Amino acid sequence: MDQIVSGAYVFTGERSAKGFLLNKMANTLSVPENRARFGADEAGYMRAMGCSAAEIDLVCRRDWRGMMEYGASIYLLLKIGAAAGVALPEIGAHTAGMTLAEFHAKKGH
Amino acid sequence: MATAIGGIGTSHAPTIGVAWDKGQQKEPMWVPLFEGYVPARRWLEDMKPDLFLIVYNDHVNRFFFDAYPTFALGVGAVHAQADEGWGKRPFGDIPGDPDFAWHLARSLVEDEFDPTICQEMSLDHGVLSFLPLLTDTDWKIPVVPLAVNVIQHPIPTARRLYRLGAALRHAIETYPKDKRIVVFGTGGLTHQLHGQNYGKHNEAWDQEFLDRLETDPAGLSELSIQDYMERGGTEGVEMIMWLAMRGALGGKVKRVHRNYTAPLTTGYGLLVLET
Repeated sequence: MDQIVSGAYVFTGERSAKGFLLNKMANTLSVPENRARFGADEAGYMRAMGCSAAEIDLVCRRDWRGMMEYGASIYLLLKIGAAAGVALPEIGAHTAGMTLAEFHAKKGH
Repeated sequence: MATAIGGIGTSHAPTIGVAWDKGQQKEPMWVPLFEGYVPARRWLEDMKPDLFLIVYNDHVNRFFFDAYPTFALGVGAVHAQADEGWGKRPFGDIPGDPDFAWHLARSLVEDEFDPTICQEMSLDHGVLSFLPLLTDTDWKIPVVPLAVNVIQHPIPTARRLYRLGAALRHAIETYPKDKRIVVFGTGGLTHQLHGQNYGKHNEAWDQEFLDRLETDPAGLSELSIQDYMERGGTEGVEMIMWLAMRGALGGKVKRVHRNYTAPLTTGYGLLVLET
């Protein structure tokens, strides 16, 4: 199977292994208290969860495209988005290299 | 003896739950979706099922990648609602059916399907986004959930899902108690949640899939996972789970209802089939 299908990374075992700690941190944001702690100090929370400086940087810069390239699962980006107040359209558009406004213009919304 | 009285194929999406919770059923964008479920809901009221057997996928809410099961069966007496990151929705936990679920576990393993057996199985929008559109949220009809990995590759083939359906049918037919069971397959239809084709929508493929699910499920089951992703997006591959529902119904089926709408970036399909 190709690594990129339909213009998107296929979430393979290799990607899951590479992105494991970033995805694991994102998974903890299913708990309301953790969302509050993340919101109060994103970098500190991520450090405590074992994330690397590069992973922390990707999240703090809201570099959704970079996170996907790195090995994030889209479903865990949505959890980071939920904790950070960013919804799917903005995340999805960013991974396509567009702003939300550009995406809506392209789709004729 | 238990009977598979019919099947429902339906999309699932967090946005359906959000729209429902906000009471947007009458907003123009959402009318084609919500109105589309009314005939299916009436059919369920007429058919009086005792149990919903739902083949769905978890979106990293019950399971994480530390241990991600290819198949997982919820055998508990009650299924909690998962917090997907936005907090819980305004309804209670969902009843299960341990007696049938353990029978299903034994029967599936006998048939060489080996699900992870879960006494705790919190449910996410893979079940809870469409369920309130089909039944009252006091949840009088128990749910037995069967989760499939369609997220972390390698994922099971379309053919495997179709064969799973036959194994579900066998389990239903060998359950000694009278029970009227509706089998659900849920996911898709086309959607691409990330990458350069974010928001891609392929109605031609969605309609072809709905046609062929009725008349040519064996043909659909021969398509590769890459075929499904190329046509319907990397997340649209979820639609293979409809083949488990179809496989559970046997050869000939009667279509009761079909609906299709795509107000946002996902093709929302609904198909009601009677055995």
